[in-house]
Amino acid sequence: MNAAAMLRTDPSVTPTSLLPAVAGGDVNAFEDLYDRYSSTLYALLIRILGNCEDAQEVLQETFVKAWTSAKMFDAVRGSEVAWLISIARSRGIDRLRSRRVRSDREDEAGREISFVSGFVDRTSGADQAIQSEQRVAVRGALAELPDAQRQALELAYFEGLSQSEIAERLHEPLGTVKTRMQLGMKKLRDRLQAFR
Amino acid sequence: MNHEEFETIAALDAVGAATAGETRSLAAHAESCDACRRARDEYAEAATLLARELDPVPPPAEVRERIAGIAESSNVIEAEHRFNPWWLAIAATLFLALWGWREIGIRVARERIATQQAEIRGLSEEKNRLAAQNEKLASIASAETRTIALAGQEMSPSASARVFLDPTRRRAIVFFYNMPSNPTDKSYQLWIIRGDQPKPQSAGVFDVTASGSATISIDNLPVMTEIRALAVTMEPRGGADQPTEKKFYVMGGMS
Repeated sequence: MNAAAMLRTDPSVTPTSLLPAVAGGDVNAFEDLYDRYSSTLYALLIRILGNCEDAQEVLQETFVKAWTSAKMFDAVRGSEVAWLISIARSRGIDRLRSRRVRSDREDEAGREISFVSGFVDRTSGADQAIQSEQRVAVRGALAELPDAQRQALELAYFEGLSQSEIAERLHEPLGTVKTRMQLGMKKLRDRLQAFR
Repeated sequence: MNHEEFETIAALDAVGAATAGETRSLAAHAESCDACRRARDEYAEAATLLARELDPVPPPAEVRERIAGIAESSNVIEAEHRFNPWWLAIAATLFLALWGWREIGIRVARERIATQQAEIRGLSEEKNRLAAQNEKLASIASAETRTIALAGQEMSPSASARVFLDPTRRRAIVFFYNMPSNPTDKSYQLWIIRGDQPKPQSAGVFDVTASGSATISIDNLPVMTEIRALAVTMEPRGGADQPTEKKFYVMGGMS
């Protein structure tokens, strides 16, 4: 049984949603929410922004937004982690565009990530195991994407580039880029069924 | 636009690659189309797989403390809002108004202080300037002050200068009149011709105004008995160690 299939069949891998309790003002639930997802969101923000200082600021903004807007979360529309990721990614891209940190991103990320090994990881053992298994499954799904499709999607998702900017960066016609992204997203959407 | 086209937009929108117009038209359409709304939500969820693949990086502990602190304090504020009696709201409004008034007062006072400090600085500079002038006048007005007239020479017959020399303070002020304008690459240089030394000693470098006048002060003069004469030459800008020309513009000796 592959990881995706395991995720689909094992109910223990779907953690209890914390956002309803957070919406009710439960600070403990909010702290649990932070412990469960902060490492994932922080990694995403470092990937987008390329430096830890900006990533920490946007991580704080993301959780404050989650705290004040938890009532807006609709489980029918998507998962808890996807909701948080969408907030973090959106704010990260806004910060990236406003501060124009693109040029320093790779160097700083490489340097600063090396410092984080001493930080406290409060993610519970169960959550860590779940997230680790999910990550393996996600990687399996993403590995099925052709490089060209994945590259176009990553430029849009992590760097906030528009279709035309991606076409320019890759020296490809706009139509080709749109088709690649559309095909890539379709495959990801198909694989998504395995994670629900 | 058909459903398939909206689905394409949804795929691009999920990674932020749809145009603003496409995103708006998708949002409007999804309001009334369950299938496209579902597709949009599924694509949005699918895009997050790109983030979920990354190796997690634990943030520093202080970020957690800060965020938890914000949540706790906002709960306290919310609780206070829930139970605030009407008079507390009025008191808060009054407090804010007074606080704002106080802030404005402080700002006005700060601006006034800054203006006064600038005036004090200006007055202090003026005082220093006047003190320097008074000192010069004291040199001129002293009973012991000696006056030496320097006469125009062949280079500038109409030029002249008057030296007020205070032997006690070993200081002098020299006023020059009707001197020819010095070129920009040249300066006038005043020399003291001494009885105890074979070479002249520089007493200062100066430029003249458009009307040909100038004033210079000389400190640490040689003792009176050693001064034989004073003379001015034109030298390269900044002056020279010794006169480079033998032609004087003004010159005069001790009587």
